[in-house]
Amino acid sequence: MTYSLQFGQIMRDIPYILGGAWPTLWLTFVIFFAAAALGLFIALVRLRGGPVTSRLAGLWVTLTTNSPLFVILFFLFNGLPNCGILLSPIAATLIAFIAISSGYLAEIQRGGIQSVRQSELDAAETLGMSRWQTVRHVIARHVIKTVSPALSNFFIFTMLGTSMASLVGVNELTGRAIEVTSRTFRSIEVFSIVAIAYVVLSLAASMALALVGRMLFRVRMRVV
Amino acid sequence: MIDGLEALVKPSTLMFLLRGAGMTLLLTAIGCSVGLLAGFVLAYVRTGSGWVFAPLRWAATLFVEVFRRIPFLVTLFLVLYAAQMVVPRASLFWVAVTAICLMSSAYMAEIMRAGLQSVPRAQLDAAIVLNFSRWQLTRMVVLPQAWKVILPSAIAYIVMFVKDTALASQAGVFELMFAGKALANRGIDPFVVFGAVLLAYFAISWPLARFGRYLEVRLSRPVTGGK
Repeated sequence: MTYSLQFGQIMRDIPYILGGAWPTLWLTFVIFFAAAALGLFIALVRLRGGPVTSRLAGLWVTLTTNSPLFVILFFLFNGLPNCGILLSPIAATLIAFIAISSGYLAEIQRGGIQSVRQSELDAAETLGMSRWQTVRHVIARHVIKTVSPALSNFFIFTMLGTSMASLVGVNELTGRAIEVTSRTFRSIEVFSIVAIAYVVLSLAASMALALVGRMLFRVRMRVV
Repeated sequence: MIDGLEALVKPSTLMFLLRGAGMTLLLTAIGCSVGLLAGFVLAYVRTGSGWVFAPLRWAATLFVEVFRRIPFLVTLFLVLYAAQMVVPRASLFWVAVTAICLMSSAYMAEIMRAGLQSVPRAQLDAAIVLNFSRWQLTRMVVLPQAWKVILPSAIAYIVMFVKDTALASQAGVFELMFAGKALANRGIDPFVVFGAVLLAYFAISWPLARFGRYLEVRLSRPVTGGK
């Protein structure tokens, strides 16, 4: 027992470490929305595409949801340079995360789309709704209602996942923690601060998502 | 790349990767068993009532919420540094196992809770009227129905979890990803090595995912009387 907690030594570094929340947040947002758009496209192809294209979409989902993100990231960052493709840490992170997340998000959104019953579409048609009105008032409502808890879970999952980007050299929360630790050796102090930062960030995100769901779509979601 | 393939397809190299895959499976198995047990205890405590157990309930909630909101990588580093503080020569394997168990217990607790709460309220009221104790109620009424809800999500979680164990390599634990990194450091083309590692993870994860899907369809079928 020679280690004693000394937060004083890292006081000057705390703003820098917590500043890592910004890269974490924007990475999360970019990855989530890009992957959600891609996932929606894949889900639609899977449901409505021709025999070959829907197979391909299914294959993409199987491949992405069964591959570890960390290994993909390593593969892109350390494996591809040997084939002459050199990716920056951010590029490798974005490609790996968006690719993998698109598979999960496609499955989530497919479930949502399938939750719309044919009888409701018929009812909309009987009421003389246009295609756009049907999508807006009938399909979108259903999809959002069934999908939003899973989506908000996945958003948090993405946020926590971005910590892996630190391992290819992205300077987000965890990356900065590793950097400060190697400089000051106050490992436990630094990492407990980062852990608290993640808890606070993800709680705030959960609450914000629950609020958005309730205000815009009248979906009730549990935060804790 | 061809050289890389030749270097990879040697019995000794393949055995090395295979041993790594074995360790990955072992880490997953330990994490899941502890996670299922601890998750059940946490969920049982959390869904309980009565003010006597309130502090226990809060503690369980805090544990679950905190460990579900810290990235596994950060948990791993924290456990690693804390272990080094307490035990000077802590075994890296047990460090990884501890971190994995902390995470899996928290996630499994949520899955269990959703399962325990899936049983219709009326049945619980009926059991209470029949003077069942809480444990009897759980054992004889809730669990026989809840496991059908719990099992598919638990397997879906395990499928995700197998892939998270790859991060244990970052703490220096020998498993599949670590074996891959070691081979890449030894000079075999990283493209080939990490490609092989990816395939190996896929080979572990895919059958498990298929099995989970099968169970989900099978268990959601309504129970019909007779044979």
